[in-house]
Amino acid sequence: MNRYDTIYDVMVIGAGFAGMAATLFAAERGLKVAQTGATGGIDFSTGFLDLMAVHPVAEGRYWDSPWDAIDAVIAEHPGHPYARLGKDRIRTAMNDFTSFLQSQKLEYMGHEDRNTPILTPAGTVKRTYRIPRTAWKGTEALRDKAPTLIVDFNGLKGFSGRQIVEMQHKEWPRLKAVRVDFPGSFGELYPEHMAWTLSSPDRCKELADSIAEHAKDVEYIGFPAVLGLNDPVRTVTLLEELTGKHVFEIPTLPPSITGPRLRATFDRGLAPKGVCTFSQKMVLEARRDEDGLFSFLIGVPGDARTVRAKNAILASGRFFGKGLRAERTGVVEPVFGIPVTQPEQRADWHHPHFFDKQGHAINMSGIEVNDSQQPLDAAGKVLHDNLYAAGAIQAHHDWMRMKCGAGIAIATAYRAVEVITEKNGE
Amino acid sequence: MADILLLRRTARTSWYRWAMHTLIFIGFTGLLVFHALDDIISYPFISGYESTLDPWQWLRNLFGGMALAGVCLAVARRLGNRQLKAISRPQDWLLLGIVGGIMLSGFLLEATKIISPNVFDRMTESYFLPEEETDVPALQAYWSARNGVIFSPPASTDADLVAKGEELSANNCNYCHSDTASAFLSRALSTAISPAAQTLNTTHADEYFWYLHIVLALLALALMPYGKFLHPVATPANLAARGGSHTATPPLASAAARKLGLEACTRCGECSLHCSVAPAHAAIGNANILPSEKLVSLRKYADDGLSDHDADAFAEGSRICTECLRCTEICPSGINLQELWLSSKESLKQRELDGPNTTIRQCNALQWAEVLSAQGKSRFEQIKGNGLADKAESFWGCVQCTTCTSVCPVVAVSEAPAKDLDLTPQQIMNLLRMGLKDQTLAARMVWSCTTCYKCQEHCPQNIQVADILFELRQIATERLKERKLTACPLPAATSGRFSDTTRDIQGQGSDSEGGKA
Ligand SMILES: Cc1cc2nc3c(=O)[nH]c(=O)nc-3n(C[C@H](O)[C@H](O)[C@H](O)COP(=O)(O)OP(=O)(O)OC[C@H]3O[C@@H](n4cnc5c(N)ncnc54)[C@H](O)[C@@H]3O)c2cc1C
Repeated sequence: MNRYDTIYDVMVIGAGFAGMAATLFAAERGLKVAQTGATGGIDFSTGFLDLMAVHPVAEGRYWDSPWDAIDAVIAEHPGHPYARLGKDRIRTAMNDFTSFLQSQKLEYMGHEDRNTPILTPAGTVKRTYRIPRTAWKGTEALRDKAPTLIVDFNGLKGFSGRQIVEMQHKEWPRLKAVRVDFPGSFGELYPEHMAWTLSSPDRCKELADSIAEHAKDVEYIGFPAVLGLNDPVRTVTLLEELTGKHVFEIPTLPPSITGPRLRATFDRGLAPKGVCTFSQKMVLEARRDEDGLFSFLIGVPGDARTVRAKNAILASGRFFGKGLRAERTGVVEPVFGIPVTQPEQRADWHHPHFFDKQGHAINMSGIEVNDSQQPLDAAGKVLHDNLYAAGAIQAHHDWMRMKCGAGIAIATAYRAVEVITEKNGE
Repeated sequence: MADILLLRRTARTSWYRWAMHTLIFIGFTGLLVFHALDDIISYPFISGYESTLDPWQWLRNLFGGMALAGVCLAVARRLGNRQLKAISRPQDWLLLGIVGGIMLSGFLLEATKIISPNVFDRMTESYFLPEEETDVPALQAYWSARNGVIFSPPASTDADLVAKGEELSANNCNYCHSDTASAFLSRALSTAISPAAQTLNTTHADEYFWYLHIVLALLALALMPYGKFLHPVATPANLAARGGSHTATPPLASAAARKLGLEACTRCGECSLHCSVAPAHAAIGNANILPSEKLVSLRKYADDGLSDHDADAFAEGSRICTECLRCTEICPSGINLQELWLSSKESLKQRELDGPNTTIRQCNALQWAEVLSAQGKSRFEQIKGNGLADKAESFWGCVQCTTCTSVCPVVAVSEAPAKDLDLTPQQIMNLLRMGLKDQTLAARMVWSCTTCYKCQEHCPQNIQVADILFELRQIATERLKERKLTACPLPAATSGRFSDTTRDIQGQGSDSEGGKA
């Protein structure tokens, strides 16, 4: 059967964290899944899986335990997506998600009940829940303040070892930096190309040789996250063998290679599960017939085709993901026209000071859903009984400041699939 | 050998072509051996050979018939295929005309000889000693009845006389003459023309046909060294030189081998019928896009015989070629066209005739920006109106995230994008945002883009990056064309380092570029 003739159990609209998670969970439960979506949040993410770290945002208070942070945030924002989920479900969702990644050679590490501090490319420290294995040793180096060398490259913008050392030197005196030429290149460098280059053992050898002198007196070496694309653990292990030191990666400024790694992992891993991916395609229009069957027009204007599905999960993100659109008169949800909770006036969208710690009211806007992740209309009623939503498109959270992006996306996607599966079983 | 003698390669495109070639080839060779060169070959080597004896007389008709049939097939092929008809040149028709003419005049000659009493008289005067008064009329009666000579007034049909004539003929003529019936085609032709026998005989038409036949044959001989007339020699020679099959690596890519290849073209047009960029020819109309036509220009180009205008057309055709190898694969003569194109492209490049792609690389992007912006919009741009690159809407979503640059395979293979490509895709978008379109026109990124569309597909903001790059290239090309610029009007940058001068237009002077820490 042609992929345009099939009637899918679920159409997932979105290819960010929420879309990928929903697709994965649904496919693992034996549902026939179609997925659409273009480049979005996941391609720009630093690759850490944030669960919940900061509350209240105005204070910028970091929590060691994400679970305590969830309790705290729910207490203040009862509409927060986590309030509807329950910790057990959130935990299971995160574990299912990371075990899939591990099965695809993208292993994640972390503590069961607490966040782990880790260096950002700016040289600050943030706390997050799950960390790619290739970055994990960085958390140990940071914890022990071990003698560490940060390597950066001529031509790679937005990653400066010197800046990291500047930011950290008070607490971490044995941290130092060196800048070298990237093997085989000079001039401007871009992470994706560097990652390809370092998939070659010969280039790794050149790299190891070029820093050997500087790494004599350290235990750890930190690189920008460009150590291979498809199998970074292999590259890291090889560099450890070549240098005799512990090696870790620090994500570069977005777009960092850690995002494309996640996407590539899903591209590799979802197809064998029978998922039909309409890659880089957008849903232009959604229609629903009397029996509730959805027809989606997907593609680009002028070159679009119809795909049908019994259920839909809307995981189209917020503004950058294009799930919400800011128009002159207000914020709209373009696919289904779901009402968007938002500040009353446009003037209230942003705080007068861009860097104000409170954040901006617009970043708490989004759609309303019920306990089953079903979007609600203006009257608070379920819009369609076979339409679900997951991820950043939901209102009452500011993932950017609360550090809860991946967590919300994965856990709400899990819940949506759970409800669909239960209904299917009836 | 199979390629040459059985003309195997012609069968690769169609059986029709094989049949046509085989007919002409066998017919012509047969005639050459048993007729045209019979003084040299047949008389000395075949005892008892006589052109008017069987089986030779019969064979000559057979061969001639085959060749003529082949020519007819060839004409029908050229007329029947519209594309082929369009690219057929006078030369192609001339060859077919001459070969067909030789055959036809040969048959007419033989036919008019058959019916001619003059020829009969000449023969009897030379070879026949009549003993009785009725001997000549008897011979006439027999030849008229049996061999189709048409006398005026008509010879007697008296049976006794014919019988006597038969006897005389047997004793005097049959050493050298088989029945004209065995010249089956000429005899049939003679019957066909018999109503006009009177005029033909009195005007000595056979002599005219003889001249025609000889002149055409000499003409063919004289034209042998030129173009297509040489192909029966050059093509097998080329095939032999290449070891027959096209897949064998050519033993030498020497100038001589190339020359041989050029001569081997039979102008069958198969390459052009199979050319993958033939649609471009349909759109642009430049005949040099088609391999068979480009080959004609190439011969002239090799002799420096192309005018500037024709050289440009040849260069354009060469540029459009994608080197897909189809023409080489299909060529029945086994010409290594691919190698010819590669070497001619190389030569065009050396002579800086290969178009804007080379022209644009002669100066750096800043110098070109000066030249092209001073020139202002080309007519093409004025007619077309604002394009993507002129409209703010095209870029206002750009967040300079570098995704386009990150996924770009051209940037990926460049060791130093700033030096090799001047600007990366996202930098070009940035310049356009700032209204600096002219500064981007000659950036080598624009000219190296393979339009793979990865940038455009991956752009999170749906910016038409690839379309914009393509548009920039088109704008620059049109401006160069309008001013007929085939070279940079400014002296080449003295520094020789592109990046030194482009540094200021990138406006990103980051500390990570250049000097080592
Ligand atoms: C620079 C950056 C760094 C980040 N780093 C981290 C991090 O380290 N850890 C972390 O936990 N979180 C991080 N995040 C946050 C995280 O990416 C988001 O919270 C999360 O991706 C939200 O997921 P989402 O799937 O709901 O939306 P998005 O990721 O925005 O995805 C939306 C998807 O929907 C698609 N889409 C939109 N409209 C349509 C349509 N009409 N039809 C089809 N598809 C459509 C888009 O193409 C896109 O694929 C980061 C975000 C950014 C921008």
